[in-house]
Order: sequence, then C-alpha cells, then structure tokens
Amino acid sequence: MSKKDFFIGWAEMPDADRRFFLKAGAGLLIGAAGVAGFVAASQRPVGRGTWDLATFKAFTGIVTASPYPMLRTRDIDGQVRTALLVCQTKCGVDLRLQNMAGKAVVINGSLIQRVDHASIAVADGPEWIREADAPVDPALAFPTPEPLGEITLAGEILDSKCWFGAMRPGEGKVHKACASLCIRSGIPPAFFARDARDNAALLVMTENGGRFGESLLAHVADPVEVTGAVSRAGNVLLLDVSADSVRRV
Amino acid sequence: MTHGYRAVSWMPFKKRYDFWVVGGILTYIVSFVIATIATQPDGESLTELQILIRATGTLAFLMLSFVLVIGPLARITPRFRPLLFNRRHLGVATFVIALVHAALVILWYHGFGTLNPFVSLFASNPNYDALAGFPFESLGVLALTIMFLMAATSHDFWNANLGPGLWKALHMGVYLAFALVVAHIALGALQFEKHVAYTVLLIVAVLAVVGLQFAGVLASRRPVDAAADGWLSVGEGAEIDDGTAVIVRPAEGEAIAVFRHGEEIYAVSNVCRHQAGPLGEGRIVDGCITCPWHGFQYRMADGTSPPPYTEKIATYATRIVEGRVEVSAMPNAPGTPQAPSRLRSAP
Ligand code: FES
Repeated sequence: MSKKDFFIGWAEMPDADRRFFLKAGAGLLIGAAGVAGFVAASQRPVGRGTWDLATFKAFTGIVTASPYPMLRTRDIDGQVRTALLVCQTKCGVDLRLQNMAGKAVVINGSLIQRVDHASIAVADGPEWIREADAPVDPALAFPTPEPLGEITLAGEILDSKCWFGAMRPGEGKVHKACASLCIRSGIPPAFFARDARDNAALLVMTENGGRFGESLLAHVADPVEVTGAVSRAGNVLLLDVSADSVRRV
Repeated sequence: MTHGYRAVSWMPFKKRYDFWVVGGILTYIVSFVIATIATQPDGESLTELQILIRATGTLAFLMLSFVLVIGPLARITPRFRPLLFNRRHLGVATFVIALVHAALVILWYHGFGTLNPFVSLFASNPNYDALAGFPFESLGVLALTIMFLMAATSHDFWNANLGPGLWKALHMGVYLAFALVVAHIALGALQFEKHVAYTVLLIVAVLAVVGLQFAGVLASRRPVDAAADGWLSVGEGAEIDDGTAVIVRPAEGEAIAVFRHGEEIYAVSNVCRHQAGPLGEGRIVDGCITCPWHGFQYRMADGTSPPPYTEKIATYATRIVEGRVEVSAMPNAPGTPQAPSRLRSAP
C-alpha cells in the first residue's frame, strides 16, 4: 500500500477509500430502509381499538357508580350498550360523579372503542355531565347482574382504557408499567381470557362486588390464572375475584 | 500541569460522514413508520407515539451494535478505517436516539397518571424478583446513563485530561451498556413481540459484536518476541516496506512500532497518545509517523508531534546486525531524540 492509499481523516481521501465510502453510504441507506421494513413488518397485529381523541360527542343514558362509573346508552351504535367512564388522562371519574349515580344524564366525551367494548373519555372540567332534560328510555337502567357461575380462567390483567384503544398495543410486557399506573390511578381493570381454541373474552374485574384496589398491581400484564364468579350485566361481563386467587403461571 | 488538547477538528470528511449518519437515521425511521402502517391488518393501527418508540428503540440498538463492530472490522481490514475515524459522532448519535426513545416512553407510558413519571418508571412494575416479569425499564435506564457518560466525555478535551488509559477504560463501559440493552430487549419487547425474526436479530447482533471483537483481538495479537540481552529481533530490514512498520511485542511494556523510512530505521511506541491507536499500522506521511485512526502525527527522530502540537511518545534505540534489525526492549523517555540506524551505510 503506497502513501497515496493511506486514509487520513484530515487529508484528501484516497480514491479507493472514497469509492468504498460512497458505496458504504449507499449500502447504509438501502440497508437502513430494508432492516426497518423487515423489523416493522414483523410486528404483531395490535387489534381493532380506536380512540377518536378529537371528536367530542354527547351521550345520553343512565349512569351508575358501581362497581365502576358506567353509562348505559344507545348513542354509540343504536343498540343499548354499556360504556366505562374514564378521564382524558390516566384516571377514573369516581369522585367527579358525585350525586349523579342512577340518574338520566348527558355525558360529553370522546369514544374509545374495540369491537363491542366501549369506553367514554369524558371531557375535562365540570361541564362533562348534566342531568338529561327529558326522561330517558327505562331500558337504559342498569340490570341486576345475572350470575353465570364460578370459573377458572387463564389470561392477562390489563387496564380497560388502554386495551379498548387508548394505546395500541395496550397489553403485554412492554405496556405493563403503563397498565399498572392506569389501574392505580383509577381506570377499571379487566381480565383478558383466552381458551385453548383462542376464543377470547374480556371481563371487567371486581373484588367482593366493588372496585379493585392496588392489591392487583403486582400481577398486571403477567400471564396469570384466576378463579372467580362471572356475571353478566347487559353487554358487560364481570369477574369477581379476590386478589389472593390470582396466580402467576 | 495543564494539558493542551488537540482537537480532531471539523473537516469536510467529518461533514460528509455526519451527512450519511443523519441520512441513515432518517431513512430508518421513515421506513419503519411507513412499513408499520402498511403491514398492520385493515382497521388496526399502532398509535403514532408507539410506532416512534419502537422505531427509535430498534434503531438505537442497531446503531450501538454497529458502533461496536467498527473497531474490530477496522483491525481486520483497513477499508473500515474511515468509519473508525469519526466513530464518536456515531456514538453520540446513538445516545441521542436512545434518549428520544426513553423520553417518549416516559411521556407515553409513565406520564398522565397519579404518579410522578420518573417514580412510575421504577415503581409501576415491582417484580424485581422475577425474570420474565422483570422491570426491564430499569436496565434501559442504566444503559442510557452509561451512554450519557460516554457521550459527555467523548470530546478530546476529556481524553487529554483523563489520559488515554483512563479514558479508554471508561469507554469500555460501552460493552456493559450493550449487555444491559440486550437484557432490556430480551426481558422487554421480546416478551411481547414473539416473531422469531426479533430473537434471530438479537442473537445475530450479539454474535457479531462478540465474535468480531474476538476476531479483532486475534488478528492483532502476535506472540511476544523474545529478547536476547535486552534486544528484540525485528527481522530482515529489507522486508519492511518503505514508509511502514513492523510491530514488535516485548514481554513487558507497550508494543513497539519499527518504521522504515528509506534506508533509515526508527522505533517508537506503538500506542498513540490520542486514543491508543496502533501507530505501527500507520504510515510515514510528510516525514512524520501518522496514526491510522485519527491522523495524529509524530516526528520520527524524537517521537514528538510537530509544532504547535506537543504530544510525545517513547522512542527506542535500534541496531542492525548482519542486515537484521533489532530494537531495544527499553524505551527512552517520551520525546527523547534517538538517531536512526541505517540499513546500508550512506554511499
Ligand atoms: S488514536 Fe486517534 S490519532 Fe491515534
């Protein structure tokens, strides 16, 4: 190798290095695009959740506070549907519900929806809820939960808001810390159960019929097995368990 | 004692280098976003922020792996030396991409709740005792901290003030950062994204970094040269190409670069005062020994950088015994003038 072929950063670049450098640069760009495409294309599907953050709508129906704040309304798709109520950020609306529970109301918020699961992210400020001017359809009253029996299920504990579509993906290990932050902050926890034939169901979790506290946090997003009583309230499935029955698998 | 430091200053080559680096980064991120949107099933889409979290996360890992293979590649083939020349810019760029990844994660996953996002980062997942459930975020934070220290001390100012030995030791921390990042990915994203491509990519990157490191060490390792009466045999003088060196390794102390310049033989330390680059793989350019890594120069006669620079390296006595070159195993103090020996007496 003669002196002319010796690369020194501060000197004129030797021709051989210049050619190599150009080829390497072009290869770098093509390689970057190729690897990025490959890595991105191998991601798993994230599910059909959506959250139209920008569109606020009025939803008329009957609101309840227990086990979690929920609204029964026809304003989602014409059917009688139950929507979990949450804030715009990671928090629940329990305290903001005050004396409205059981009343016919109009709620202002944006819809989070995943197939037939719905949640309403209510508007910030006191204007998010008001009593309805006219009486509403009595069919919107909350039915008494109908017990379906005791069952053991395998699956994952997640926070309903993210999984419904606020975050995509909103489950699994990477989302674990976020899910437990959401549940800690008052978002209703849910159990995503999957059987051997890949039938999946989502059940809203309660403890002794009431809301879950921080006892659940250690198990969020882990593969777990739970045993509890399932009941149906309208189109919502409820799973009542005690935190000690949650087992990591 | 004050250290003057000598900047490897801005020059057209560095600008071109950075141009390609930025181009590569943008190409990766844009391609990742487009491919994610294009390949999700109809009606399903990742949130924009989560696409960016993944794009920056995967990119930072790929860049870190690449930074770590440049060194060994340059040892195996000189073609890669131009990449080595400005490796630190690539290192700093890697840190910046990793920082963006971390900032997006803290905002998106840990913000907007009832806990301080930085508390949530460490506390939201308390399963420090389980492997699969391990809070992998903390590993990422540690790696990012190390990369921050590297990036912050990457400037030659620190190199000069810490001394090349300590500086190099500090920058070996990058291997620890790499190990932490590998664990961060294995216990994090790979627990959710099960496509075999991710596991394969991770393993390939680890094998490339470890394997090339090993190959690089092997390529530059030569047996220790035996000394007789304090003199090491270098070989036939005629076999050293003009303007280049042969590297000799005494049992103790630094390796020695023995240069031939015309009929003259000079010997200096093989260790560049800048970042310990292998001077013996350099050339004599304009009468000065020139480092192959960033082009620092030393006069042959006294191992001192030409003014205005002041770096000094050790010189060694040489002698010719029946056409064979020998070098003293004992270094002169750095910067000591040392007369060359001549292969053939002047005509
Ligand atoms: S190591 Fe940087 S110039 Fe020698």
